[in-house]
Amino acid sequence: MDSAALTDQQQTGSSLKNKESNTRLGGRFGAWLDRRIPPGQRITLSQRNVFIFPTRSGFTFGGLLVILILGAINYQNSLVHGVAFLLGSIFVVTILYTFRNLSGLSLELAQSGNGFVDEDVEFAVRVTRPKGKGREGIQIGWPDGFKQWVEVYDREASVVKLYVRADRRGWLKPGRLLVETYFPLGLLRAWTWVDIEARALVYPKPIFQSIPATQSSRHRDEGELIDPLGSDDFVDIREYEPGDRIKNIIWRSYARSDELVVKRYASYLEPRLWFDFEDLAGDTEEKLSRLTGLALQATRAEREFGVRLPDRTIDPGVGETHLDQVLRELALFGIHDR
Amino acid sequence: MTARSIGVAHQIPRNSLALLMIAQVVVVLPLAPYISPWIVGVCLFCGYWRTQVYRGRWGYPASWVKTFLVAAAVAGIALSGFQSFSLEAATSLLVVAFALKLVEMKNRRDAYLVIYLSYFLIATGFLFDQSMAVTAYELAASVVVTAAMVGMNQLQTRVRPVASLRVAGTLVLQALPLTLVIFLLFPRIAPLWSIPVPSAATTGLSDTLTPGDIASLGRSDELAFRVIFDGDPPRQSELYWRGLVYSDFVYGTWALAAPLDALPRDSLDAESESASLSYEIFLEPTQSKWLFSLDTPRQYPDRVDLLGDYRLENPEPVMSVMRYKVISDPELSTDPVLDPAIRERESRLENPNDNIRLQAYARDLYERAGSVEAMVYAMMAHIREEPYSYTLNPPTLARYDSIDEFWFDTRRGFCSHYAGAMVYALRSVGVPARMVGGYQGGEINPVTGHMVVRQYDAHAWVEVWIEGKGWQRFDPTAAVAPARVEDGLNAALSSEDRETLSFLSATRMESENVLADALRFFDSLEYRWNLWVVGYDVDTQANVLKKLFGEVTPSRIGVALVLGGAVSLAMVVLGLFFWRKPASSHPSERVFSRFCAAMSRHGIKRLPGETPVVFLERIAEEKNIDVGILPELVQRALYDPIGSQQRSARMNLKKELRKLRFRLALG
Repeated sequence: MDSAALTDQQQTGSSLKNKESNTRLGGRFGAWLDRRIPPGQRITLSQRNVFIFPTRSGFTFGGLLVILILGAINYQNSLVHGVAFLLGSIFVVTILYTFRNLSGLSLELAQSGNGFVDEDVEFAVRVTRPKGKGREGIQIGWPDGFKQWVEVYDREASVVKLYVRADRRGWLKPGRLLVETYFPLGLLRAWTWVDIEARALVYPKPIFQSIPATQSSRHRDEGELIDPLGSDDFVDIREYEPGDRIKNIIWRSYARSDELVVKRYASYLEPRLWFDFEDLAGDTEEKLSRLTGLALQATRAEREFGVRLPDRTIDPGVGETHLDQVLRELALFGIHDR
Repeated sequence: MTARSIGVAHQIPRNSLALLMIAQVVVVLPLAPYISPWIVGVCLFCGYWRTQVYRGRWGYPASWVKTFLVAAAVAGIALSGFQSFSLEAATSLLVVAFALKLVEMKNRRDAYLVIYLSYFLIATGFLFDQSMAVTAYELAASVVVTAAMVGMNQLQTRVRPVASLRVAGTLVLQALPLTLVIFLLFPRIAPLWSIPVPSAATTGLSDTLTPGDIASLGRSDELAFRVIFDGDPPRQSELYWRGLVYSDFVYGTWALAAPLDALPRDSLDAESESASLSYEIFLEPTQSKWLFSLDTPRQYPDRVDLLGDYRLENPEPVMSVMRYKVISDPELSTDPVLDPAIRERESRLENPNDNIRLQAYARDLYERAGSVEAMVYAMMAHIREEPYSYTLNPPTLARYDSIDEFWFDTRRGFCSHYAGAMVYALRSVGVPARMVGGYQGGEINPVTGHMVVRQYDAHAWVEVWIEGKGWQRFDPTAAVAPARVEDGLNAALSSEDRETLSFLSATRMESENVLADALRFFDSLEYRWNLWVVGYDVDTQANVLKKLFGEVTPSRIGVALVLGGAVSLAMVVLGLFFWRKPASSHPSERVFSRFCAAMSRHGIKRLPGETPVVFLERIAEEKNIDVGILPELVQRALYDPIGSQQRSARMNLKKELRKLRFRLALG
């Protein structure tokens, strides 16, 4: 179990390294990009931050033009010249089209979801276009995710949901967002990498286990009577009701008074669960995972619970808000960037 | 470092596929007359196959099927009887490759290959025909192909083919100004290497001539060339357009002999400046090297040669409309002293045993006449006096003794029969003579003043070398049908012959005919098209640029290209970056405001703030007319939440408003 957890840990470490290089897009290039297109919450595309270059189809198209011109020269055919020039002019006009398709667009993070390690985390990106003609055939995507088509054609803004696989707890920063278009002919690609300062909180991957055995409380007036059966603690006596255990009937009393009376035993559940980091098995990450599992289970069971971490204690509470707070602490345990 | 694409991105969007299928038909159609009919069938079948693949009924072809199809297609083309390496064979191969690629087209890359091949086929269409109509058609075809490419980059769930076509149409229109700038300025250069697809004679003269051939040309109204003269054109009977010189006769067929060397440039001196003719010819593609000119070319383009038999030859086959300027001197005497080698070549009989009767006749005639000229005139007199006739439908002659058969038995023939008989007779007595093929006459187009020479003007005549005078032209056809030389073919044809003409040929030959006038008008448009676009070649460009820039230097051309490009793109930039779409009103509102505009012409103006219903009621009152259910219709089409979204409501409104206008107009 421990060794498995260890390898798991190493894997997480290595993918983390990859992630770092991915999101930063390589040292020098990344640094250059950071100067050229500084991060911001809302980034508007313009000639300052959009790159444009022919695609492979574009270069093949150029080859076609060369062949056509050679044919036109050898056949001394004005109209074949014309075809070549028309295609060349279309290519030039396409440069304007392709660039225009991105120019003026604004990108910002509309909303980011939360998730657990090994889950896809949702980022909603809002793309807004200026007034004027609609934009189509745009694709956006994070370096580690799938690209999505964006159309800002009839409306002036649209929101696109993108998903990124979370591979460690803490802040998931998907890095620079790729915005690209091949519209209208696919001969040119206009693209940019923008950092819209997107981040999402990733909780530890939950490990589920049974909630630790009930702890009896010495205080009778606290908590709730849970399990009248099979416990040792005597509570009181009352009249027999059908369904009571035969062995709990006080026969002596029956002999005396002809009344059936039963003894009641019970244990009182400590109403506030306490999940303690120190009490759990495994290394730090495994302990956090177990705590996550426990928190989820307790919430599902609508139990009040508190968590004790080495550096802080979360007071008991119940419900989704409390769970969010707990998960946030677990996700950010040992991480300074809060 | 890049985000991944989802698998869908590699597929061909549905609307792009539909456009590609349309493009296939559109692009192959203009090539259909030049390729074998079965190839068109292959294209249709491949298109059907790909449609079935799209519907999920058939599969893509297996690799052995593909191999088999390619092999079968290549074998089919080889067996189709094209001349090897002819333009037609190459085009057929290209079309087949295109059709087969269409079937196995699976992903984006395949689609792009098919699109590029489509553009290539559009260009190929211009190798066969460069007319205005074809240009307009191919421009539309390029919009369809471009639309297929646009569709490849649009979100396939939303976009219909019409939307892609609209983008492509705009794109092509916006590219046109820049195209014109480049067309004007991009340096034209002479051919870089010879084209490996020569000599597939379509219509027109060929390098061999069997006398019946030229008669079939007489039925074709296809254009041979256009000419524009500096100054007045010569008389019809002087217009002998020389093109080919047939020096060999082998059993019924005249053929070109091995070409003579080119004459040194400027070897011919002007006899008299005043008599010289200056003209420019726009020659339709012949797929051959020979050029046409009047007797005798003194000045001609630098790249063109004047051969020893005084015909012009281009260094490579003429594959597109070629324009060239010639100055001819009709008075110039050619070969006053005949080179012995040429004398031998132009007076030999390849088969001394062929046509023995004519040989004997010629010897007898020569003896009696006493001189070459007298003999020629005697033959002409013989043709005139004996019952010879001129016909487009000569009887078929045997391969051997064909001239005997014509001269003594059938006595019915076209120009080449008479010319051939005369040349043969002269050669029988050792006189240098040769048959010349070309065109005779031409029709002036009154709209632009250029002359049009068509295939039915094809003609053959005789040149005889006479001591002291050099080569002299004689036309035995003038003896049998003088009208042919004076007034063109139509005047010389019998009514039976005329019935064998196609409708268009017959119409063109008429001078007083509305349709003929219309055809002449189109010809004048086509002439201007040739003058400015098709004939824009190395020399023309040099002249135009000299007029525009004075001295032509690469830097001036470069600056002009950049400036012209910037100006022609300015509109595009304005449209793309600064144009704001005006807020569009509801279509029913537009319908009603058109009605209001029409009403104000009738004297009833809609007042500001007057609602449509009130306005209609006022019309009813003032004009005393029943507006019927119109108020309800307006209400429904403009304001009803459901009705205002319905096309039918709008159409109803439109119809009823039109009826009301009609009734108002009637009073």
